[in-house]
Amino acid sequence: MSTDLFETVLVPVADPEDADETARAIEPYLAPGSEVVVAHVVPKGEGVPDKASVEQREAFAEEAYRAFIDEFPDAGPSVTPLTLYGRDVAETIVEGALEADAAAIAYTPREMSRWMELLTGSVSKGLTENGELPVVVLPD
Amino acid sequence: MASVSDDELAKDLGPLAALTIGVGTMIGAGIFVLPGTAVTRAGPLAAATFVLGGVIALFTALSASELGTAMPKSGGAYFYINRALGPLFGSVSGWANWLGLAFASAFYMYGLGEYVNTLVGAPALSVGPLSLAAAQVIGLGGAVFFIAVNYAGAKETGGLQIVIVLLLLGILAVFTAVGLLNADLESLTPVAPPGTTAEVLPVTAIVFVSYLGFVQITSVAEEIKDPGRNLPRAVIGSVLLVTVVYALFLVVLLAAVPNDLVAGNDTAVVDAARLLFGNYGAFGFDLSILGWGLLLFGGLLATASSANASILSSSRINFAMGRERIITPRLNEIHPRFGTPYRSIAVTGGLIVVFLLLGNLELLATAGSVLHLIVYGLLNLSLVVMREADPPGYDPEFETPLYPLVPVVGAVTSFALIVYIEPLVVVLSAGLVGFAALWYLLYARRHVESAGVLARWVLDRSEEMPDAAVSAATSVRPEGDDFRVMVPLSNPATEEHLITLGAAVASQRDGTVVAVNVANVPDQTSLAAARDRGAHDAAGDLLERAETDAETFDVDVETHVVLSHRTFEEVFDAARTYGADVTVMGWGEDAHGSPGRAESAIDELAYSLPCDFLVFRDRGFDASRILVPTAGGPASVLSARVAEILRAEFGAEVTLLHVTDEGEEATGREFLESWADEHGLEGAELLVETGDVETAIEAAARDASMLIIGATERGLLSRLVRGSLVLDVLYDVDCSVLLAEREHERGLLDRLFGSGAREETPSETGVEPEPSAVPPGAGRE
Repeated sequence: MSTDLFETVLVPVADPEDADETARAIEPYLAPGSEVVVAHVVPKGEGVPDKASVEQREAFAEEAYRAFIDEFPDAGPSVTPLTLYGRDVAETIVEGALEADAAAIAYTPREMSRWMELLTGSVSKGLTENGELPVVVLPD
Repeated sequence: MASVSDDELAKDLGPLAALTIGVGTMIGAGIFVLPGTAVTRAGPLAAATFVLGGVIALFTALSASELGTAMPKSGGAYFYINRALGPLFGSVSGWANWLGLAFASAFYMYGLGEYVNTLVGAPALSVGPLSLAAAQVIGLGGAVFFIAVNYAGAKETGGLQIVIVLLLLGILAVFTAVGLLNADLESLTPVAPPGTTAEVLPVTAIVFVSYLGFVQITSVAEEIKDPGRNLPRAVIGSVLLVTVVYALFLVVLLAAVPNDLVAGNDTAVVDAARLLFGNYGAFGFDLSILGWGLLLFGGLLATASSANASILSSSRINFAMGRERIITPRLNEIHPRFGTPYRSIAVTGGLIVVFLLLGNLELLATAGSVLHLIVYGLLNLSLVVMREADPPGYDPEFETPLYPLVPVVGAVTSFALIVYIEPLVVVLSAGLVGFAALWYLLYARRHVESAGVLARWVLDRSEEMPDAAVSAATSVRPEGDDFRVMVPLSNPATEEHLITLGAAVASQRDGTVVAVNVANVPDQTSLAAARDRGAHDAAGDLLERAETDAETFDVDVETHVVLSHRTFEEVFDAARTYGADVTVMGWGEDAHGSPGRAESAIDELAYSLPCDFLVFRDRGFDASRILVPTAGGPASVLSARVAEILRAEFGAEVTLLHVTDEGEEATGREFLESWADEHGLEGAELLVETGDVETAIEAAARDASMLIIGATERGLLSRLVRGSLVLDVLYDVDCSVLLAEREHERGLLDRLFGSGAREETPSETGVEPEPSAVPPGAGRE
């Protein structure tokens, strides 16, 4: 079986800057007919409120989508924003990708010190170890 | 761009989670630290002060529940007050709520310090001029820890909050049960030793800090599942539960241990537990250490969860304030790594540290209380406003019972309790309210876009309301609020054309048409008598037609009747009262009567325009071919703007005319091209003529249906009224003429009080309507 991983691809973005970088990184691999689902995870405490309010995080997500979409010409691939909610970011992304029928997940890894990784947890690790979908790590 | 946002996914707080937010925030340092102070001052009545605090909180909880189900938005109390009472009170409530939470958090941390101190016995510290109690030092450490945890967004386990609260309630229940077994009702008497009854209200004001938290539930209302049911249950339920727990706890504490042990002891609860549990032994061990440990652990849990929840709420209030532009939205930026509103948390944290350094336990508690009481009072008033005004979309699933009794009692008791708070704290809080009001007027007013429900309600009833109320409502109105076009009407013959013009302007700016009938009342008739004789009804027809005409443009319409002896002067007053951005008025023999006062008075009025004025010389309304003569300069900005609006609304063909000297035509054309671009009039026909200005205008106007002339110097309108304007072209052309004169700058004081402060602006260059006849400012100085 041969599938184009970039035909329908879910692209998680962490913030507007990350969205901008990711858009530029993925653009060379996309055909005009490609479908890109750009996703942002609004963190949920599942029982406790998160540090930031949902309304605030949703506005933040919109900003990131805009930054992503701005990188593509009008005639380019179709880009659909998707807001996901969940506690475990990596797990939520994989679930969202399966639901959106994406063939793969593609993202740009963010440089992170060990210390930061310890504090915030590594989403990258969770994605590559998901065991459900191919994951493409885009070069910077 | 539509994001696929599933509302339900965002809601993950169940009824128990919501309830524990309220209970966990409320059960904080208050019940663990304050019994000492309360018993010293009120004796056994200390229990009554906690119950009284709960009853006052309950009224506000009922009001907050209704507002919360009607508007489940981030920000809670601040959001409702801002929406109902407008951004001036919004600013006050936002600041009070934010700082109130910071004071309360500092109080919780101080209490935490007291508790840890009994455990480790840290020494007092003296740093420079500051001498810090041991509890303060430990509290600082705790504060820094919680701020760091929130800043870095460390994830809590989902059920942690619930576990903490259940543990807390369990500890308090065990203590109460053990106490009951040892209770001696004798020690509760006399219930009110001499001198304690007078202390009840002041002590209630202090212990009220133990009830801050139920409104915090509403600040996460958007995340609660089925908020229509769960929100009121959590808000009201948490107040009831906490009140009962406090009351039982206090009664038992007073009945089971000697009052001397409790009075004046900040960690009395722990000592009481040691004493009570000491009555029991198990397997040969004395259980006093268990009681001591349990209550100590409880105190730590309680203060920690309260401080944590308060920091969380304050960043939501900041977010809501930033969204309304009361504060800069930059404060709410999200950290790229941590995903937290780190700046907001850092600023709040800084405030907590400062308050902790400068305050003592009682001061921090009362400051937290009084600021929240201000918010609670305003919250109750907001409910009254929302109910009375009943704005579209206000559809609460929970309705406060016994309206209007509940919110009125809630507001009165909240404000009344402030009276009993330490005067120093009240003065500080009053200063803060003043600061927040000035903050809005001087800073935020320029950025805020939406006015409150109250202001709209007052304006809709301007006839029944005193002028002062109407004027107050418009003068504190945010500048970014909707654009208001006032159209004074008196002559039915010109009504349609003026409204068409006004509505066109309003429609392009997404604004409101304010149709005002200034009805002339003869001097010998009093205004009251005229009102009785139905002068309003006569005006009704005209305004009704105005409303119908304006509605065809799909703009909001407001109508007002003003009875006056001096119709012309009244136009200027009305422009101020109704907060007009532009006034569109007629000009002609019978437009607004003739000035009834001395020329100089009229001159004074018309010389200091409260808003932009468009004066229409009606020779039929036809906006198909518009002529705009210009020589540049700020004066013609308004005429350009009007031309642009009419082009957009009616598809008018715009012709720009510039008159220059012989041989300068090329430069003139260049100027005109760039002027058109700058003013959004690209594609307009450009006409460059030489020779006499007025002749050129008159010639060009033959092909036009409307001539728009910008007033080049202030006072054009005043001279027009006096008849001293010698601009023949206005009379010679056959088309309609629109004269545009810009608002004269007004300072803040003027906006607030309507005083006629006049500022001179440098003479502007432009089309000189009467270069030699009247020099700028002639007859004035």
